[in-house]
Amino acid sequence: MGFSLGFLVGVFGVLVLSHAAYSTVQYRGLLKIMEEEFSGPPITVVAELLLGLVFSLWAALTVPGTFLSIHPHSEENMIVALPANLDFMVFNHRGKVFPVEMDLKLKH
Amino acid sequence: MAGHNESTASGKKSTEATNDVSTLNAESLQSNMKIIYYSRTFMSIIGGVIAGILGFTGLSGFILYFLIMAITSVGLIAKAGFQVHSYFDSWNQVILDGFLGGLLSFVLFWTFAYDIVHIF
Repeated sequence: MGFSLGFLVGVFGVLVLSHAAYSTVQYRGLLKIMEEEFSGPPITVVAELLLGLVFSLWAALTVPGTFLSIHPHSEENMIVALPANLDFMVFNHRGKVFPVEMDLKLKH
Repeated sequence: MAGHNESTASGKKSTEATNDVSTLNAESLQSNMKIIYYSRTFMSIIGGVIAGILGFTGLSGFILYFLIMAITSVGLIAKAGFQVHSYFDSWNQVILDGFLGGLLSFVLFWTFAYDIVHIF
């Protein structure tokens, strides 16, 4: 499959979070039976939430892609610089008066 | 904002040969900003779910949001290799952009998770 490692980690993090939610629901059901008040989630749920947070942070930082340098002199911007400069591309010049001859030249 | 940067960038590009002013590549900056928004929105949703499961109400939930956004900012700066100025125009773009939009997603998922876990 074409999923990256970060994406799979994110899916796993969401699964961990949903399991934490399910555990909290069960814990509240238990409290209702024992007729106690809810003061906070159990420590296992807190640990699961922290784990899910770390996994999701990993996914959030790796999945969207890598940063590109904005410096015009850096190596990855050297090739992009010419076509990005559309101001100097002229299509409406006097050469369009002779389209047929241009075609003939191209056919040769 | 991006359009403004683009116009200034193309304006500066023509004078680049004469005086060696350091300009910026608008397309790369836009792509970087999109990555920032993506990360922040996802982390706000995750933070909202966590705040809901923990059963936070009131101010403590917003404190958790601030905490998660701070962690995300540190993560993004670490992703940029602690050289923010080679990928972004200013520090505000890394630390502040997407904060309010993320807050809305956060509150939505906070109430959603809280309702599912603690009320139903």
